[in-house]
Amino acid sequence: MIGLAAEENILRIHVDEFVFGSIAFLIILAVVYKMWPKLSSALDERANQIEGGIERAKKAEAEAEEIRQQYREKLDEAHRQYAAELEKAKEQRAAIIAEARDEAQVEARRIVDAAHAQIEADRQQAIAQLRAEIGTLSTDLAERIVGESLADGALQSRVIDRFLDELEQGESTTSSQAEVR
Amino acid sequence: MYSAAGEEGCHLFNDFGCGFEAPGTSLFFPTPWVDFGLPMTSGITKYALVLVVALLVAAGFWYFTTRNAKVVPSRGQSLAELLVGFIRDQITRNTMGKEGDKFLPLMVALFLFIFSMNVMGIIPGLQLPVTSNLAYPAVLAIFVFILWNAVGIRRHGAGAHFKARLVPGGVPAWILPVVVPIEALSNFVIRPATHMIRLFATMFAGHLLLAVFAAGGWYMFNLFGAPNIGLGLLSTGFSAVALIGFLVFTAFELFIMAVQAYVFVLLSSIYLGEAMEGAH
Repeated sequence: MIGLAAEENILRIHVDEFVFGSIAFLIILAVVYKMWPKLSSALDERANQIEGGIERAKKAEAEAEEIRQQYREKLDEAHRQYAAELEKAKEQRAAIIAEARDEAQVEARRIVDAAHAQIEADRQQAIAQLRAEIGTLSTDLAERIVGESLADGALQSRVIDRFLDELEQGESTTSSQAEVR
Repeated sequence: MYSAAGEEGCHLFNDFGCGFEAPGTSLFFPTPWVDFGLPMTSGITKYALVLVVALLVAAGFWYFTTRNAKVVPSRGQSLAELLVGFIRDQITRNTMGKEGDKFLPLMVALFLFIFSMNVMGIIPGLQLPVTSNLAYPAVLAIFVFILWNAVGIRRHGAGAHFKARLVPGGVPAWILPVVVPIEALSNFVIRPATHMIRLFATMFAGHLLLAVFAAGGWYMFNLFGAPNIGLGLLSTGFSAVALIGFLVFTAFELFIMAVQAYVFVLLSSIYLGEAMEGAH
């Protein structure tokens, strides 16, 4: 044991072991470096793909946002159009009502005027008829009273006209009196 | 030694009075199968065999997990990526920044190799961490030391590199005669030495600890050889405790093996980052 102590120094570094260790280390270094590009290229490729995926996702998101914006604008536009149509319809309704009312008024006035005219015409006709009948009646009456004296036609019509003029004067006096009243 | 004692059937409560011999440093000096007969050589020993196994495991792991690297990773590739991602995010980016990515393969190789060598300590049948032989951590630490100088010299020129390493910024001139030798010793001797010894010593000690649990458990197991059945059962109980301890410490060792690989790579990365940075 004591004789071996010098030999068995745990901190010894044997040359051959050092050489074995160096060779082994160089081999493992060579293997790792040899295989490294494969792994790193796979990692780079993956990073690229992930980046690409993120890029695509961002693009899709932006697109979706754009479409949403468009949709919203269209919706707003539709709302605006609807409101405008409604407004227009209201105006139209008001216009139609006003027009109808005007027409109705015109029509009513026309009817009233026509009625007035008819009444006037009837009145004139009645007056004319009355005048003729009154003349005949008066003549008949006068004839009966006066006899045959008034058979002379010329005289007869003269008398009738005078009578009617007096009658008319009286009538206009009464009508003016009625207006006054 | 302990194995010889075991062969002789030396157990607790024996009749012929042989005691427990704890496993010693001879564990780390396996008998050479081929002796070169040269000074400073050990010949072909178990270490060489385990080193080859560790190398095959590390290189094979890397080869088969990255051979068919695809954008959509397989399980193996995910594992390799996990390792690379861990070393990049936890080690090189933190110590060297983005620039450190060019040393990423080196750091991955270092980690794989060291962890693989460490983990040989708990593989049944091998049970010898390669890194418990100082020669192997020394290879790696010296490689990193040389690379550290090469990076510094290439980046800043030899003068600036050694000045930055020897003359700390902001130190008054009159104290430099004291500081420069200290810095020289610290940066060019002690640092690489501690870099290799830290890994070696933890693996050495861990392996010794496991060996003590195993040898102790084996020594205390004497169910049939004890003078009476009571002592036989008692010795078996002791042995069971040692076995539980062995299993717990094996799990703990696995953790330590990973941590030490991590620490070695982290320190390598810090040193290289410092060389790249130049003077503080």
